[in-house]
Amino acid sequence: MSEAVAHDPDFLAEEVRRYHHFITLALWLAAITGAEIVLIFLPVPMPVILTALSLMSAIKFFAVILWFMHLIYDHKLLFWIFMCGMVLAFATYAAVLALFSVDRIDTKWFS
Amino acid sequence: MSHDSHHAPVADKMELAPERSDLGLFRPDRTRGLFDWLTTVDHKKLGIMYGAFAMLFFLVGGVEALAIRTQLARPDNDFVTARMYNQLFTMHGTTMIFLGVMPLSAAFFNFLVPLQIGARDVAFPRLNAFSLWTFVAGAMVLNGSWLFEFAHLAGWFDNFAWHKALVYTDFAPANGWFSYAPLSGTFGQANAALQAPRFTGVGTDFWIIGIQILGIASLAASFNFICTIVNMRAKGMTMMRLPVFTWMTLVTSILIILAFPAITVALIELMFDRQFGANFFNPSAGGQPVLWQHLFWIFGHPEVYILVLPAMGIVSEILPTFTGKALFGYPIIVFSGAVIGFLGFAVWSHHMFTTGLGPIPTAAFSLLTMAIAVPTGVKIFNWLGTIWGGRIRFTPPMVLALGFIWMFMCGGFSGVMHSAAPADAQQQDSYFVIAHFHYVLLGGVLLGLMAGLYFWFPKIFGRMPNAGIAYLATGMVILGFNLAFGPMHYLGLAGQPRRTHTYHAGNGWETWNYVATIGAFILGLGVFLAFVNLVYTAFKGVKCASDPWNGRTLEWSLPSPVPEYNFARSPIIATRDVFFEHKHGVHRLAYENDGGEAGVHMPSQSWFPLLAGFGFLIIGFGMPMMAMGVPHAGWVVIAGLGVMFMGIWLWALEGPGGYMLKTPSDPHGAAAQAKAESSAY
Amino acid sequence: MSQAADATHAHAPTSTGIDHKKLIMWLFLASDCMFFGTLISTHLLYRKLYPTGFTDAEGHQQFIQKLFNIELTSFSTFILLMSSFLMALAVSAMHKGQLKSFRRNVLGVIFFGLIFLGCQVYEFTHFYHQGLTIQNSVLGSTFYVLTGTHGTHVAIGILWLVLLYFYSFTGKLTGHMAGLDVEIAGLYWHFVDIVWIVIFTVVYLVEYLGPSGFWGTGLPLAK
Repeated sequence: MSEAVAHDPDFLAEEVRRYHHFITLALWLAAITGAEIVLIFLPVPMPVILTALSLMSAIKFFAVILWFMHLIYDHKLLFWIFMCGMVLAFATYAAVLALFSVDRIDTKWFS
Repeated sequence: MSHDSHHAPVADKMELAPERSDLGLFRPDRTRGLFDWLTTVDHKKLGIMYGAFAMLFFLVGGVEALAIRTQLARPDNDFVTARMYNQLFTMHGTTMIFLGVMPLSAAFFNFLVPLQIGARDVAFPRLNAFSLWTFVAGAMVLNGSWLFEFAHLAGWFDNFAWHKALVYTDFAPANGWFSYAPLSGTFGQANAALQAPRFTGVGTDFWIIGIQILGIASLAASFNFICTIVNMRAKGMTMMRLPVFTWMTLVTSILIILAFPAITVALIELMFDRQFGANFFNPSAGGQPVLWQHLFWIFGHPEVYILVLPAMGIVSEILPTFTGKALFGYPIIVFSGAVIGFLGFAVWSHHMFTTGLGPIPTAAFSLLTMAIAVPTGVKIFNWLGTIWGGRIRFTPPMVLALGFIWMFMCGGFSGVMHSAAPADAQQQDSYFVIAHFHYVLLGGVLLGLMAGLYFWFPKIFGRMPNAGIAYLATGMVILGFNLAFGPMHYLGLAGQPRRTHTYHAGNGWETWNYVATIGAFILGLGVFLAFVNLVYTAFKGVKCASDPWNGRTLEWSLPSPVPEYNFARSPIIATRDVFFEHKHGVHRLAYENDGGEAGVHMPSQSWFPLLAGFGFLIIGFGMPMMAMGVPHAGWVVIAGLGVMFMGIWLWALEGPGGYMLKTPSDPHGAAAQAKAESSAY
Repeated sequence: MSQAADATHAHAPTSTGIDHKKLIMWLFLASDCMFFGTLISTHLLYRKLYPTGFTDAEGHQQFIQKLFNIELTSFSTFILLMSSFLMALAVSAMHKGQLKSFRRNVLGVIFFGLIFLGCQVYEFTHFYHQGLTIQNSVLGSTFYVLTGTHGTHVAIGILWLVLLYFYSFTGKLTGHMAGLDVEIAGLYWHFVDIVWIVIFTVVYLVEYLGPSGFWGTGLPLAK
């Protein structure tokens, strides 16, 4: 069964295509990471930097899950399962962060 | 191929030739008796073991409750000390939730889900066994703390030096089932040994590691069930043809996998505070104790829906059966269950209305909490719609299911009263809250689970519990529970606070506390009677037909007790409630051409899930020993980790194995037989 | 139907067409999102409350920016990204049945993973000597536990890959199941990488924004 699959020409051709995708992707990920590191030292307004950083991280994040982790080739259910976890975590903890506020007492006594 | 097992199909597993796994060790497929139960991966046997442990721990939690009620029966009582009282209510809550309700629900998930979806087992049978044994380890760790406490009270530890160094030396957890920081945490500076001063003793450490282990067990089981329900449905069993109980299992499992990580991290942070001098909740260093509350309730609120949704699923199976009508509004009941689960993540701070969140968060959480009442109400109306116009048979399961609807509604009303934050400011930490959650947990969940026990016992053991005793026990439970918790609504509004070991005379609380204690004893007796009856039935009860209730779902089409392979032939599902339709309607239950002489694939049994669970037991005792200051206790933990790792590694290496089991050769025998045997109902 | 008789438990057709192991791993990863979300938000919360950093042993307030070594962390981030790339190649090799290529790539992943861990250990020791401990501040607690937990996940991944590497010599790592098993390990490894992408951005990079970091007071750092 494995041998049949491994030598199936369509399957092999697909794997070779994906192999080239991986190399391209790895180079882009490295480049984006480099861009992020350069960006934080540039004299650009804070909201612009934050947006750019968030965007770049999101691109890297989705690039890895869609291509390295195969989600773009797989059943859509897996994508939505992961999205549920991620969105819930993001939403819940954004709420938690908003629920805590800086207090003059806190910063007076603690660093 | 090493994964496959190409043996000739056998009629009984005892006929198998001894087989070695990929590790070279014999697979325990040919065991019987105790070894069979210890190595089983059969979801039905695992379900029975979950149920047995759950019933045992219900009784343990019940004794703790009766001790509490005895103490509170009279003002200024000294039946127990204040410390023991704190330990009692902590262990009562923790035991009932984690060792009573959750495993009993797990018992039903395990036994029923594969049967209801037309499968032969769950997706990962050994992982299922691992969940059970890890749960047992956690249960032993948690209750092991009591053993240490009793030994301490008896003076056994008085001569040990490390014992004297322990803060307040309380061995059983005493901080409430939610163990709030900073009481459970640390204060001040950590010393050279990385220990910061702690308010509480080793009991808290037992609680931390016990809950952590139980969490791992629940998580493993839930991953398994989601995979099973999504991936192993019989042909034609679309998601919208699933029984509602299976749907609720799916939603509950999704809640578990998304909610438990929050408590896992919270417990890690608390453990680091206590063991390694971290400052997550240490006020002296700037830690925010209210963070513990947030993290706990981000887990804790979905947890209560985890507790109630299975019981709702059970009721949704029982009502149609005993009214002879299909469930009213199936799609909307399923959708409501999902919405309740989803919204359950959005309301956690309603447990924190009195912590000073601010007006906007308070209003937001208040509104969202009120919103959850809507899908719950929708379910209740749909249940009423199911009953309306049906020919009701008041069997014990039906009486309990009707009791669920009514009592859960009462609990819901007091819950909605809590959702109004200004009112909650008065109710918080009073007996009104205790009344609310006991109405939903006892009146709701317990009645629902008991209904499930009476409903499915005939299927599990092929024997029918005595109806007379069942009605008596049901009556005692419902009467006792209302007598115990009804007055608590008044007591709470009259000002009696929670978690206080006694009260003075003259507040007007004496009479109703006394009444509540009487009610609690009646309730306890009723539950005990029901359990004793059920256990007796399992061994010596009257044998009954395989479909005594004229059931609607697939499990009733099988013989009782259910054979190892579940279905002689895999069913093909043409519609919802296809078995009922097969008996009384147009559609027929068809079968695939598998099984028979060619056999069906059965998973092999294994020792390694048990071994991995045993590793957790060692860790569970090692960690509190570290907290006690027992020398070299850290090595015990490391040894436990090693045992756990070995269990998992060997489990991976032994390969799935499996053997082929022959099934009876008459393809329609099961359904035809069941139809013939349907009782006179 | 010999195919039905031959089918092992894991080979039986699934209702969705997704393999059981793959489905359960994605469920685990969804759950792990909540797990890391809790840890990351605990850290961010305390950064929000106490923007200046920590107090060292001599009682001086230290800004976190002065502690961090962005070059080292950038290097270790690149290493982890490249290890993810090698992992994808290893999975691809296994799917094609190329055992030798698989072994080379897995060894690469393990090697890079160990470098990452080495950088983490170096970073922890460096911070410790600069006065940041778990015990002496909230920042120390949140930072070490967050990155330590991530590091533990990396270590577990490395262990898994080492075991897979040695297992590949037994001759049993063949066929469809082998591709699947390696893919599952790959999913875990990639997840650990994307968690680091998030941690790198919100724990390290944002501390460099503006004169005193994203959470800072807006005033320049003291010398």
